[in-house]
Formats: sequence, structure tokens, C-alpha cells
Amino acid sequence: MIFNIHLFILNHVYINMDDLELVKMPKRNDLEQRALQFVINTGFEGVLQSELWRHLGASSREGSRIALKLEEKGLVRREKELRDGRWTYRLYPKRIPASIDSIADCPCLMCPDNPRCDPSGPVSPQDCDKLTEWLLSVSRNEPNASIALGDS
Amino acid sequence: MLSNIDDATLMKIAEAFGNEEAIQLIGILKNSEQITDDEIANKTGLKLNFVRKILYKLYDHSLVSLRRTRDPKTGWFIFHWKLQPDQLEGFILSQKRRVLEKLNTRLEYEKNHDFYYCNTPGCKRVPFEEAVELVFKCPVCGKALMHCDNAKFVQSLMRKVEVLRKELGE
Repeated sequence: MIFNIHLFILNHVYINMDDLELVKMPKRNDLEQRALQFVINTGFEGVLQSELWRHLGASSREGSRIALKLEEKGLVRREKELRDGRWTYRLYPKRIPASIDSIADCPCLMCPDNPRCDPSGPVSPQDCDKLTEWLLSVSRNEPNASIALGDS
Repeated sequence: MLSNIDDATLMKIAEAFGNEEAIQLIGILKNSEQITDDEIANKTGLKLNFVRKILYKLYDHSLVSLRRTRDPKTGWFIFHWKLQPDQLEGFILSQKRRVLEKLNTRLEYEKNHDFYYCNTPGCKRVPFEEAVELVFKCPVCGKALMHCDNAKFVQSLMRKVEVLRKELGE
């Protein structure tokens, strides 16, 4: 009987501890995603490994594990760096993030006429006023630019 | 899947989808695992139908996913929305391909035509064939149509096409 009670208490305590662990520990993949997002946001500057785990609120052990994992997956590049007399790593995103800058203000992006825009259709990129205006503004922003639609 | 898009780009995509409201909405989606349209409307103070309009637009481009549950009390459907960061890169690439296609069409047209223009702001250029039919007279302001050289415009267009090709790795 006493043995059974002990067993019950042990199981009970064990389950509770387990639940607590689940609450405290964030999912590894979640941390990885946050870490990668942070490294990507630093762009060409990169980020020191120590800064990364501080930002994530993770331990240094966890931080370096995540950094290694991301390097293994080919998502970041690690470069050794001497900082305050100690060797550490700087993490850089391996792939340059896709940028929408070159077309961000292009009227074609969310054009309501898109379904009927065709060279042989009623709306055509050949003489679309909105597209012409955008192209002119693009060319005006180029260095040494003084372009009008007809230059003569 | 892990996303390779930075926050600034995400906000630029949001901007392309509309305006301040779309930026607000994507900002909320970015920071939540799953959220209902009702909760978004409460957080942003936007009208529910407007929130839904933006969400459906995003859904059309697969940038958000949705899960449907039924409210046990009312029996109505509840939509739980989630941002799909892994689709953003694909979205950018497909949009670039579409714009590139349009620019190529335009470039060909500009290269293969001679244009005539009356030099009046607001009036349109017309290609040679149309100018002949109009007896070289502007149909809007009545001024004479003069030949206009589009060489610099074509060059600028070619540079833009080249930039997009490089970005797409073509």
C-alpha cells in the first residue's frame, strides 16, 4: 500500500515537472525561425552570436546550438571574430533576402485591369498611361537623367 | 519552412496591397500565430469588412492561410488567419516575372514604332500608322504632330529590363 502511494506521488510529480518543462521551453524550430529572421534583418552587417542569443532570450549554449543548426542547414554563414579579446562568431545571412524594391511602386503590381491587360486587349502594356508614368519616373531617378517620352 | 524575407520587405509588400491599413494588418499577422478577423478588427480599429477585404486579397496570393471552425453557440463560421512567410519569396518572384513580361512587350513596341507627338502636356503620342490616318494633326488639341525620338526612353526601359532579368537570374 505504502509502495503504491509512493509510486502515485512519483508519477504525479514527474508529470507535473514534464508539463512545466513544456511551458518553459520554446519549440526549437520556433527559436530557429526567430534567430534566422533576426540574422536576415541585420543584412550585410551580420550579428555577433552573443548578441543573437541575448536578443532571443536564450542561453549561450542554446544560442550556439541554434547558430550551428542554421549553418548546417546552409541558411547562415559563421565567421570568426575577435571581440574584446575573446573569439566569437559573427553570423551573416547566406542568401540575400528577396527584395521587392525594383517593382515596389510599379502600377502593374496590384492593377485592377490586370485580368484584361494584354497587347491585343483593351488594356495593353504598349500604351498604358500608368505604366508610362512609372517608367518615366524610374528613368528620371536614374543618374544623369533628363528623359521625356519624346526627346526631340 | 523558414522564410528569407526581412521585415522591411514584408512591409513593402503590405504597402503594395493597399495602404496604411494593410501595413497595420500584416504587422499584427506577423506577430501572431493565428488570429481571427474579428480580433484583427478590434486591434486595429478597422471595419470588419475592410479587414476581410485585405485578408481575401492576401489569400488570393497565398500569403495567408485560413482555418475554419464553427462557433458552438451561434453556429457561425470563425476564420483563423495565419501569415505564410514561406510564400513571400515566391510571390515577389512571380510578380517580378509578370512585370518583366509587360516591360518586354513595351520594349518591343517602343523599338518597332516611330512616334509622333504634339508636345502638349496631357496629349498622347501616336504611332506613325495612326498619325498618317490623323493627317499628322493631334485629335485632342489640333496641333501638328511632330516626330519624337524615344531612344533615351528605350535605353532606360532596357536598363530596367536588365535589372529585373538579373534579379530573376535569367
